[in-house]
Amino acid sequence: MAQEQKEFSIVGKRTPRIDAYERVTGRAQYTGDIEVPGMLYARVLRSGVPHAKIVGIDTSKAEKLPGVKAIIHHGNAQVPWSSGGLTHRRYIFNNPVRYVGDPIAAVAATDRYIAEDALKLIEVKYEKIPHVLDPNEALKPDAPKIAPNGNLSVGKGPFSAPIEESWGDVERGFKEADKIFEDTYISKHVNNAQLERRVSLAKWDAGKLTVYASTQGVSNARTDIAKDFNLPLSKVRVVCKYMGGGFGNKNQAQDYDYMAAMLAKVTGQPVKLEFTREDDFIGMHGRWASEQHYKIGVKSDGTITAVTLDAVTNMGAYRKQSGNLSGTDFYNIPNFKKVIKPVHTNTVVAANYRAPAYPQSVFGFASFLDQIAYELGVNPLDMFLRNHAQKSKGKLAYTSNYLEQCILEGSKRIGWSEKWHKPGTTAGSVKHGIGMALGGYPFRPGLGAATIRVNSDGTAHVLVGVTDIGTGAKSTMAIIASEALGIPLNQIQLTNGDTDVTPYSVGESGSRTTAFTGPAVAAAAEDVRRQIFNLAAGQLKAKAEDLDLRDGQVFVKSNPTEKHALAQVVARSGELIGRATTNPSFPKDMDGKCFSAHFAEVEVDMVTGHVRITRYVAAHDSGTILNRLTAESQVKGGVVQGIGMAFSEELIIDKVTAIPINPNYRDAKVPTHLETPEVEVIFVEHYDPYGVFGGKVVGEPPITAAVATIANAIFNATGRRIKELPITPDKILRAIPV
Amino acid sequence: MGEENQGAKYSRRSFLKGIGGGAIGTAAISTGFLRGESAEAYVSESAGATRGKTAVALKVNGKNYRVEVEHRQTLAEVLRDELGLTGTKIGCDRGECGACTVIIDGRNMYSCSQLAVWMQGKSILTVEGLAKGDKLDPLQEAFIEHDGPQCGFCTSGQIMSGKALLLKNPKPTEAQARRALSGNLCRCGNYNREVAAVLAAAKAS
Repeated sequence: MAQEQKEFSIVGKRTPRIDAYERVTGRAQYTGDIEVPGMLYARVLRSGVPHAKIVGIDTSKAEKLPGVKAIIHHGNAQVPWSSGGLTHRRYIFNNPVRYVGDPIAAVAATDRYIAEDALKLIEVKYEKIPHVLDPNEALKPDAPKIAPNGNLSVGKGPFSAPIEESWGDVERGFKEADKIFEDTYISKHVNNAQLERRVSLAKWDAGKLTVYASTQGVSNARTDIAKDFNLPLSKVRVVCKYMGGGFGNKNQAQDYDYMAAMLAKVTGQPVKLEFTREDDFIGMHGRWASEQHYKIGVKSDGTITAVTLDAVTNMGAYRKQSGNLSGTDFYNIPNFKKVIKPVHTNTVVAANYRAPAYPQSVFGFASFLDQIAYELGVNPLDMFLRNHAQKSKGKLAYTSNYLEQCILEGSKRIGWSEKWHKPGTTAGSVKHGIGMALGGYPFRPGLGAATIRVNSDGTAHVLVGVTDIGTGAKSTMAIIASEALGIPLNQIQLTNGDTDVTPYSVGESGSRTTAFTGPAVAAAAEDVRRQIFNLAAGQLKAKAEDLDLRDGQVFVKSNPTEKHALAQVVARSGELIGRATTNPSFPKDMDGKCFSAHFAEVEVDMVTGHVRITRYVAAHDSGTILNRLTAESQVKGGVVQGIGMAFSEELIIDKVTAIPINPNYRDAKVPTHLETPEVEVIFVEHYDPYGVFGGKVVGEPPITAAVATIANAIFNATGRRIKELPITPDKILRAIPV
Repeated sequence: MGEENQGAKYSRRSFLKGIGGGAIGTAAISTGFLRGESAEAYVSESAGATRGKTAVALKVNGKNYRVEVEHRQTLAEVLRDELGLTGTKIGCDRGECGACTVIIDGRNMYSCSQLAVWMQGKSILTVEGLAKGDKLDPLQEAFIEHDGPQCGFCTSGQIMSGKALLLKNPKPTEAQARRALSGNLCRCGNYNREVAAVLAAAKAS
């Protein structure tokens, strides 16, 4: 653990990314940009039916197409995909197929056109099985069974179902309430829609498999591949240097990595498998849709006495992740019970998308609290202030908690007290509204590793396993190294994302890089500093423990003029190597969380139903901010993703054919420059005692409160509550009286 | 398909390959195979064109190139696969996301939606052509300073749309900048930064 420091040399500044040059010149090499000699191209054939047994695959015509080198399917490539289905066995090709988009075959050919042509020549015979698309229908006893153990997705450990959590005594809590409210809120499946389509390049050399992946975590990807291909970790190398976004749907290794590896094995040639944009929308996963039924007991001043949440989440055909809903996390709820049923349906898989369990359930809960405030005649600001979280799960202290300051500073910045008005009361056909909601994300520590080499000229080389998915993680790791070492950032080189070279990293998901790998970088820096001070002690005629290193100078703490340049100290060392594998934890009675309070002003055109966000303020508690520039960008970007979820995004499945009808950017309606307001970012900074240099995390939290904030602003403008996402103009027009 | 390509140079191999692919594709369609049971297999949409090649002379980043291109190859593919200019990204390959934006004769266009055979005599500027030697374009400098790239996959396209705007209108307003970049999606949601960078570059030059 780093000591509390008020003065930093680089932490907290606005530092451009260390790889910004590569990113603005086109030199950054993403997975799809890599070519190797003899490389084949691969494409995937997907099921066009929602539920069927495959009774025949005839590849003979496709095989005759000149240039086709290999075709794999469930009959000749039964590779398990462990992380693809955690509650029942899933393979890279499954029989039966369970949704429109389930992979049936993959073709490798000498160019991508031939591979695409070959897909059309594969004849598949299906024996159709009845299907179910609606999660409530899927839970009925006579529903078609999608998973072997039924449609309630029952697994082990965190994948058990239903997901249940409770504390206090809800019956007592409801008795203490002055009023009890019940209502249902609905969210839809939204695709991560990262710009980089999935791509994987696999090759085998003397029994060793190398995968150039587009993954959020090279270490986890290697572990997955080694397990499912039955290889030792030493025979698998995963490389990902630049990654074009994922937001949770490129965690670990995915089926396309396995298909590329199998095709490379069969053909004896390197294979690059590329998804099309439609593949990307239907072939991986998006955020789980949900139906959330709340019962909330309150005192007449708005104080919450009890909450129950009964929900179903639609996980699609396979369950890769939890299906949980956690939007109640940011409130002080003395008596609480939730029961969430993750359900299988014959639809596109739902799993992690930025802050997986949050924005949809923050939408539900914070919308409902806003509604209750209205019905009680309480100002929403008072409602949120009165009920904001002070302890975790009703009992655990937070390592730090500045949620109240976020609410106060954010509301002041937007001018809540002057601007808030009774809902639907502004004059004219374009109505002003203002709204707010609370959000955040767990901050927790865990396993990390790092190596730092200090060269004989005093420059340093940091090795970390992180893949920078756009968060600026490489830069953050280099900043931590620079601060901890006392070596200027421009003298630090960083190598990342190659399991043959870089140490273990948890993978960039769940806002874990700074919390897990950050402390390892700091500890590796401490390790190499000890070695430097031992060398310098003789040269400076001082004790090692009396020495310090800053700005590349080793000096005696009590007499800073007694100093040597680091280059001089290490000149004959060859190279010093600092390393650390760290696994910090919180005390048992503590929990960690980042918090946020978001505020928006909107204008709703009551004639067209169109909503324009005119102002947006996001106040965040993330502890010390390690790089203000990239941290602000994270917040701004998360809000924009929330705007899409609030206004327009929904994967629509045709009710008759079960085919997704809008698997592309235009029809999925992701936000553009035109819908995006200036997002004003406030960091309520403080030093969290368990964070590296006092920092908590930044990546996941920004999306969490955005959807509800906008929904509440629309309510304040219109006086009408829309309880189902996305809040499209037609829903607004239907809600307002003619 | 030969008559479509008069004057073009064939290699024997590519000619035969073209015949082969075309013939099989036609056979598949004429037997009604695509409407049979396996029509329900989900196939992405770009497959099945003819496979002739045409020589195209074009200028990219000030250099003259003569490339033999398949008729169905897009400019984006030729830039990336034939010329090795992978700074131009393909995000959707269907004219929606703007990651492939380049400047063609002064206009920002989606290179995934331009066939390479249409590029005869055209002058194309890609992200690789912006810097003068080691000196970055002011817009690239501004993108670094203002944290324009998050994941960076849309960045080349954002920069090229910004550049096209600044070539026409060196002092745009914020609204004009937003409008000019509105065909470039950024799923990281870094729109504030990209617009700020364009405005800063306008101020700097």
